[in-house]
Amino acid sequence: MEGVAMKLPSFKSLAPNAISIGHRSFSRVRRSSSLSVYSAASSSATVATNSESVSLGHRVRKDFRILHQEVNGSKLVYLDSAATSQKPAVVLDALQNYYEFYNSNVHRGIHYLSAKATDEFELARKKVARFINASDSKEIVFTRNATEAINLVAYSWGLLNLKPGDEVILTVAEHHSCIVPWQLVSEKTGAVLKYVMLNEDEVPDIDKLREMISPKTKLVAVHHVSNVLASCLPIEEIVVCAHNVGAKVLVDACQSVPHMVVDVQKLNADFLVASSHKMCGPTGIGFLYGRSDLLQSMPPFLGGGDMISDVFLDHSTYAEPPSRFEAGTPAIGEAIALGAAIDYLSEIGMPKIHEYEVELGKYLYGKLSALPDVRIYGPRPSESVHRGALCSFNVEGLHPTDLATFLDQQHGVAIRSGHHCAQPLHRYLGVNASARASLYFYNTKEDVDSFVVALADTVSFFNSFK
Amino acid sequence: MAAAAMSCAASLRLIPFKPTLFASSVQYPAKALILRPLKPSELPSLRRTIITFQKISTGNIRPPLASSSPSSSEDYQPIEELPPKLQEIVNLFQSVQEPRAKYRQLIFYGEHLKPLDPRFKTRENKVEGCVSQVWVRAFFDDQRNVVYEADSDSSITKGLAALLVQGLSGRPVPEILRVTPDFALLLGLQQSLSPSRNNGFLNMLKLMQKKALNLEVKGEEGSSSGESLESSFVPTPETNGGASVVDNDTEDLGAEDSDSGSNVVALGSRGMRMRERLEKELNPVELEVEDVSYQHAGHAAVRGSAGDDGETHFNLRIVSDAFQGKSLVKRHRLIYDLLQEELKNGLHALSIVAKTPAEV
Repeated sequence: MEGVAMKLPSFKSLAPNAISIGHRSFSRVRRSSSLSVYSAASSSATVATNSESVSLGHRVRKDFRILHQEVNGSKLVYLDSAATSQKPAVVLDALQNYYEFYNSNVHRGIHYLSAKATDEFELARKKVARFINASDSKEIVFTRNATEAINLVAYSWGLLNLKPGDEVILTVAEHHSCIVPWQLVSEKTGAVLKYVMLNEDEVPDIDKLREMISPKTKLVAVHHVSNVLASCLPIEEIVVCAHNVGAKVLVDACQSVPHMVVDVQKLNADFLVASSHKMCGPTGIGFLYGRSDLLQSMPPFLGGGDMISDVFLDHSTYAEPPSRFEAGTPAIGEAIALGAAIDYLSEIGMPKIHEYEVELGKYLYGKLSALPDVRIYGPRPSESVHRGALCSFNVEGLHPTDLATFLDQQHGVAIRSGHHCAQPLHRYLGVNASARASLYFYNTKEDVDSFVVALADTVSFFNSFK
Repeated sequence: MAAAAMSCAASLRLIPFKPTLFASSVQYPAKALILRPLKPSELPSLRRTIITFQKISTGNIRPPLASSSPSSSEDYQPIEELPPKLQEIVNLFQSVQEPRAKYRQLIFYGEHLKPLDPRFKTRENKVEGCVSQVWVRAFFDDQRNVVYEADSDSSITKGLAALLVQGLSGRPVPEILRVTPDFALLLGLQQSLSPSRNNGFLNMLKLMQKKALNLEVKGEEGSSSGESLESSFVPTPETNGGASVVDNDTEDLGAEDSDSGSNVVALGSRGMRMRERLEKELNPVELEVEDVSYQHAGHAAVRGSAGDDGETHFNLRIVSDAFQGKSLVKRHRLIYDLLQEELKNGLHALSIVAKTPAEV
């Protein structure tokens, strides 16, 4: 009850005081009590109504004020979460709270505010570690986003360890952030990049990947879930093959960590990266998970304050990981807000979120593929093949940009069109661009229905010119 | 030729363009006397102020725009300054209210666009910043008017390209260069176009203008003795986007040395007429009319087109109560209106200092 009462000020009132006062005790309550106030609120909602009729999407929508608006005269239907997710009120409050009550630089100060900020910042790190089941929070390096995290590995681990002739294995479906840094570094080191193509199910060919792995392989860098194909790679298997030849594995988990349980110990990955803004957290923060011994062996990436031990005029000594890789003042508030996002997701439970998305994703795929002239990329969902909750597609004779524009202008439906930072993949598929609708746990069946209706209308509008 | 100070905000709103910047407050750095063909890096971009020395068509006071333009409609480029076909197109779109119908119209244009030969779909012809692929090609017809061809893989973008092709094709370079993206607002399509789409549209226009200029430069390089372009563009050093009006007061143009009229060059008949007019209408406390046409002698705009003995460029310094309560832009406008006749007959450019007695 207390929780419900306190939730209201945070998204109704715009007066900062009202939010902060209401929230301050709220956040204290949240942290100290094991039974979170929030889940008390949500479980009371389910008790009140028949739990089956209120889907997860419907239940959580009230936490996302941004979804309750009209665009271009229609209700907003946000289907672009693969690009960035929306943030629940608690995350926004956490950020506001930080700045309003204990903003202070971390790791450096002695005074009360600084100590508090440091505590919260390091607590956020612990939350991330727990979220992905890292063995120690020291294995979590905060970065600006996943792209920076991959660059960190490329420039720190890569420059040190890659020699001429060494091979780095990628897939043709990688996001540019997991292609370009390796291109840059292989130029400098003489290492060679090898790409795994797709098989006839439109998934990276794992058999070919296995064949490609050889004693020359030093690194395998692959996505967990593809942001275009929605396919999921068998990371555990890949890690086994790679470790057999002494190669390391970097997992780009941007599309998996927000949507399902990811356990780095189970995967046994060497490196794993993800971005906060795709998992209900703010932009400007992401993280690299690196196995302790690996991080220990790596030289600094960026130089500056915080990552040093002693600084002399002619040389410096460096701090232990993770500090070694966190130069300068970090995005403190953002890290703390990421922690709040993780709390929020954990309350709901990642297994529940995943289950809901599998259902909704299947529904989306079903309705979309039923439309004529629609070509969806990636594998067909089946018992053995689980797709992520997104569909990249093209409609015959209709440019995805026209489609997306019309959907937005006439129906308020937000999808993405373009190459989704995967130009090599699109080239491979033989298209210039595709449209993509991606779901998150705050979407509902109605969202999918609206999208499909709007899409049908769009297609018929453009067909009328033929 | 238009002096267009524009800044292209990458997405959203177009910044209103203030045409009173036409050749006003022009900087004449001493070095710029020697005009040369511009390097590609100096070509006008939407982020620079473009000043030319050609005839300014101040035309008429702009009529209030009929459509749903926002309040500052008086600051947009007047529709009359657009090439005739483009005016037609703008009027057509303004008459169509419903968004879907506008789309239909736009796509209709696109469908009737002459296809572009694949061999012209090159990198140089590709429009940057477009979410879809767009190519534009430009060449001269036998009367040195620019002819455009374009194509796109997306229907809506093709429609936009077709608008521009239809609107600008067959026109001379100066006219094309004078067009600002303001008319996109007049079309009423902006609401129907996403920001990144709009960006592509602006970039399309920019590329078409750049190509027109290129054609001109290449033409000139071929013919004359290294003299400047008919449409000479001089990026001004000081402005950097935004519709900022450069205040000339800090300038050392030599116009402020003495109070007693011109310093070096005795005024010819035009100069005298201008003085008379300004004196009569503005009742100035101070008035200086300085003929600086010699500084521009030899550049193409002056050559052979001036009315009175090459009296084409003047510096004006006017201190008058008539400017009370008027913004800088309005003051300049007032002066231009008074000197309309001259502007029609060979006066090319004015550099104006306009103050009230209190401001001196």
